[in-house]
Amino acid sequence: MPVEGMVAVGAGLAVGLAGIGAGLGEQGIGAAAVGAMAEDPEFFGRGLLMTVIPETIVIFGLVVSFLLMFM
Amino acid sequence: MISKIIRRTKISEWAYIVARVKVMRRKLIPRDEYAKLLNMDLHEIARYLEETEYKKEIDELAYRYSGVDLIDHALSLNLSRTYTKLINISKGLSKDLIVLYLRKWDFWNIKNILRGKMFGFSNDEIEATLVPAGEFDEDFFKSLLAKESIEEIVDAFKGKPFYPILQKLVHGEKLSNVEDELDKFYYTSIASLSAESIDMKYFIDFVRMEIDIVNMKTIIRLKKEGISPEEIMSKIIPYGYQLSEEEARKLSAMDLEEFYKAIEGYWFIDHLKEAIMTQPISKIENALTKVWAERMIKKSSNYPLSILPVLAYILLKKIEIDNLRIIARGKASEMSVDEIREQLVIV
Repeated sequence: MPVEGMVAVGAGLAVGLAGIGAGLGEQGIGAAAVGAMAEDPEFFGRGLLMTVIPETIVIFGLVVSFLLMFM
Repeated sequence: MISKIIRRTKISEWAYIVARVKVMRRKLIPRDEYAKLLNMDLHEIARYLEETEYKKEIDELAYRYSGVDLIDHALSLNLSRTYTKLINISKGLSKDLIVLYLRKWDFWNIKNILRGKMFGFSNDEIEATLVPAGEFDEDFFKSLLAKESIEEIVDAFKGKPFYPILQKLVHGEKLSNVEDELDKFYYTSIASLSAESIDMKYFIDFVRMEIDIVNMKTIIRLKKEGISPEEIMSKIIPYGYQLSEEEARKLSAMDLEEFYKAIEGYWFIDHLKEAIMTQPISKIENALTKVWAERMIKKSSNYPLSILPVLAYILLKKIEIDNLRIIARGKASEMSVDEIREQLVIV
């Protein structure tokens, strides 16, 4: 496989694995957030914030993939 | 890998129910509010409850009842709805464990119906005490109330594992003995289960700790009344957490002085010893309930992703309902504020 191909696979893995990791992290937080919101809608803001925190790791993955693809 | 993913799934199930229950717990009446409630009259208490989680029940029942009857019915209905809600919002193991624990209310309802019928209370009075929250629903208990004789009521449970116990009532056994046997049946059916997972272990330990508290209350009450050790032992529930049957037998045979010394090592004794020495039995029972609730609150914070926060909430909700009922009934029978306050369990 040419180097460009390996880079593309690496970039894909960086985003894909980061996404799986974030998803695993979010399921507990998301479930708790939905539970809290079901009882008291005022938890919407805090629940949403907590749920997206693991999402930051996907941004890192995305940045790594951009660096791989365009640098 | 797959088992780990399944394990994660379980965590998200716990996270959902525990988060809901924690928000529900925030809505319980705060301890400072009881001082206010104690200084209100019955109408003010009903109005206060209308501004809390009891609004729906008070509004629904206000056209049928008033005063202490209104509060009584509303509290029972709210307790039943809250417990049923817990069953409805849970799933998987958490649901199974909640249903298993709440079967306690089936026995509570059966006992109340039998007692009410035997002592000639009206159906309405019996209905006010019912909390349909376990295996049987409200309609089933209403159909029991419509039955004329004890035999017919007992026959409605044909095929259930506790049917032979109820049958003893038809054959002339004393109601109090049948009630004790039903309690024993309920607790032993849970405490004798094998703990297949850590979640089950937390649950079974919780029930076994409750058995300790129930047994301790029984021993202290009966000892103070001077009942014989054999009779005390007949009311002891096996499978206690620390207080085994053997130890209960030893304790019930001791005189009071020895007894106070012997109970020092048990987990529920923290604040109790002082209470036993100086207070009447109702205060000791309240102290035990308080120790029990505080212990569960602590334990549920230590194990947040487990059944324990849900069980702690079930316990705290029951304590709140009992407190409100004591205040309402105390006000209705014109007891003094201090007398009512002494009966409350404020956690």
